[in-house]
Amino acid sequence: MNSLWAIASLVIKELYRRKDFYVLFILTVLITGLFGSISIFNDERIVRYLKAICLLLIWMAALVIAIVTTARQIPAEREQRTIFPLLAKPVTRAHVVGGKFLGCWLAAGIALVVFYVFFALLSGTREHTWPIANYAQALWLHWLMLAMVIALTLAGSVLFTAPSSNATICFIVTVGILLVGRHLNTVTLQLREPASSLVSVVYYLIPHLEFFDVRDLVIHDWPPIPWSACALATLYALAYTACFLLAAWWRFRRQPLN
Amino acid sequence: MDAIVKIDNLRVEYRGRELGSGTKVALNGLNLEVYPGEVFGFLGPNGAGKTTTMNVLLGFVHPAAGAAYLFGVNVREPIARQRIGYLPELTYYYKFLSAEELLRFYARIFALPRVEADRRIDQVLRLVELEPARRRPIKTYSKGMQQRVGLAQALINNPDLLILDEPTSGLDPLGRTKVREIIQRLKQEGKTVFFSSHELGEVETVCDRVAILCQGRLLAQGAVDDLTRQYQGNLEQAFLRIIGHPPRP
Amino acid sequence: MPSPPWLLSLLLVICFTLALRLQSWYAAWPGNTAASADLLTVALGDSRQLFANYFFAEADAYFHSGYYPSIFDQPQSPGRPHVAETTDGESTADEEREADFLGKPRDWIERFGRNFFPTAHTHLKPADTGEILPWLELSADLDPHRVETYTVAAYWLRTRLGRVNEAEQFLRQGLRANPDSCEILFELGRVYAENRHDPDHARNLWELALRRWDAQSAEGRKPDRIVFGAIVSHLADLEAHTGRYAQAIQCLERLKTVSPAPAAIQKQIDDLKQRLAAGVH
Repeated sequence: MNSLWAIASLVIKELYRRKDFYVLFILTVLITGLFGSISIFNDERIVRYLKAICLLLIWMAALVIAIVTTARQIPAEREQRTIFPLLAKPVTRAHVVGGKFLGCWLAAGIALVVFYVFFALLSGTREHTWPIANYAQALWLHWLMLAMVIALTLAGSVLFTAPSSNATICFIVTVGILLVGRHLNTVTLQLREPASSLVSVVYYLIPHLEFFDVRDLVIHDWPPIPWSACALATLYALAYTACFLLAAWWRFRRQPLN
Repeated sequence: MDAIVKIDNLRVEYRGRELGSGTKVALNGLNLEVYPGEVFGFLGPNGAGKTTTMNVLLGFVHPAAGAAYLFGVNVREPIARQRIGYLPELTYYYKFLSAEELLRFYARIFALPRVEADRRIDQVLRLVELEPARRRPIKTYSKGMQQRVGLAQALINNPDLLILDEPTSGLDPLGRTKVREIIQRLKQEGKTVFFSSHELGEVETVCDRVAILCQGRLLAQGAVDDLTRQYQGNLEQAFLRIIGHPPRP
Repeated sequence: MPSPPWLLSLLLVICFTLALRLQSWYAAWPGNTAASADLLTVALGDSRQLFANYFFAEADAYFHSGYYPSIFDQPQSPGRPHVAETTDGESTADEEREADFLGKPRDWIERFGRNFFPTAHTHLKPADTGEILPWLELSADLDPHRVETYTVAAYWLRTRLGRVNEAEQFLRQGLRANPDSCEILFELGRVYAENRHDPDHARNLWELALRRWDAQSAEGRKPDRIVFGAIVSHLADLEAHTGRYAQAIQCLERLKTVSPAPAAIQKQIDDLKQRLAAGVH
């Protein structure tokens, strides 16, 4: 457990010593501020478009932070040979995979908290309402989605040699699932065999990341999701995360280090 | 006396990455024992299998046959590495950390309590003479300083066994002397040191026993004095004779 | 060699002088029209129409608080955005049927997934209708020739938000980009008739709209017959209310040609003819 936390804290330290997070946060604030400063028919009450833009930027920034940070973790350890002194300690490869995951997930969580606090302040100052339960659910589900994405990227990083190709593939897969994952069962109805069965298999196999995207509910002030659904989504995310981590460890445990 | 390092009929094979390139035997039937308190030199020409042996001891490489033990525990168990320190041939550490942060990171892995970790960090930084630069990022260090950081991290858990892979490689004469002095101090403290080197003069100075490896096979092992007496010359001459390249008159 | 501060000051002076010279030259440059200077036009090219359509649909999605069909649900979805309909925002039974584009969930993933996005058909409350406006404004910025954007935005601005000036301003902006648009002229006429209570101004605008419609029809451009119907019907009402029965009858005669219920129109015509004969005002 010590090794796990030590490796995780190293990843967090790396994130806040690099400039990625700060740049993305400042960009989010600037772009949101820019859109917020536009007068829409002199109506100060209009806020939903601003919430939508801010949340979109937060989602993009969080994905970039999570994928880019995770994709370089294990390849960098191997390329810079820091993995050797690390594994020479009482540290197993499972610890490395687990620690890297934990670090990236916690780092992404810290970044998300900062982003969502900004979002809550922004919408609170315009709307004068504070739907904390909605924001907490949105943040929690977003963080869970990132757990799956991080685990997937980590699995990719022991499969693909170059972090850039891994990051690109993971980004495309994630965005693809978010955009069309929900509709694949509709697509199957319009396809012939065997394509229909193939898409069906993909539909049931992929992690449905779109469950965790509750932006529309937050933007349009819908009531909070049932907590039971939140709990089930948590289990769903943890199961997929565990699968990806297991796959990453399975591949990494016997992999030559150089 | 029980051996600290025990290698039993070890065989390591590498499969070539190219299709149909076959299997290469890196170590074949290696048997070796290192006892507490001795400085053991591990010698051989390039490609002899020295680093492979160390990689097996550290769990980086899994043997095809045979086994290796540290403190009587199979090296496959992570706990076997609890009481060792390792310095790789080329030292690369997290460049965004300072020496102190790096050592604190490794201290956390060994679950050292905070006070104990602080004490050890001070101690090892003093030993490797990096006290004044402890808060500077490692990326600003010279090669010699980086090598000494490597030595410091290898010592953070106060190990009983140190595995050093070519610890003086690439260092200037002053750096080599410092590393040699540190090894001798560790020997005086009763630590066991297992190290590989091409610097035979250095090995002759600090080692109690040596093993000579060539093409994955152990050709000779014994006390430095015994080998030099048996082959009638210094360690370098003995080494050349053993690996089949007798020195010219 | 001058010292660095002097050199820096000299460079700054040169920069400002050049900027002033270039600014006056740029202002006089014939290529500096609003269209060529528009950053969005330059950046997006012809794809801006695609984005404009997307943002128009986004306004409709906002009108339904995020409950909106995706391209995968289109076969079951309504063809015309609700936001474009000049209804009072209440759903009719037909709308409700059309809006049930989700249908029954086909599997557990779909059933569970419905917890995480809007699944109920609602319309924005009157006070919140302004939330659709940013997307309409953005849509108009990207494609100034999309007439529907101006008419829809103006409708909501004047009917729900009471922002008549903004509605008129936006319609005039649309008219500058689409001087031939009878739809915008018609909507502008409604601003004067219904909000400003200025029938003369409204009549002028609707007559102009009708002339534009006739001209386009004569050119064989097949303008929208629904718009034609709306113009002549509103014009007929206006004329009848202001006692100009002969003009009202003319308008209704034209309306009869496109109306699905010509008998009802004929009844109105007969009624007006009686009034005209009786000299009632």
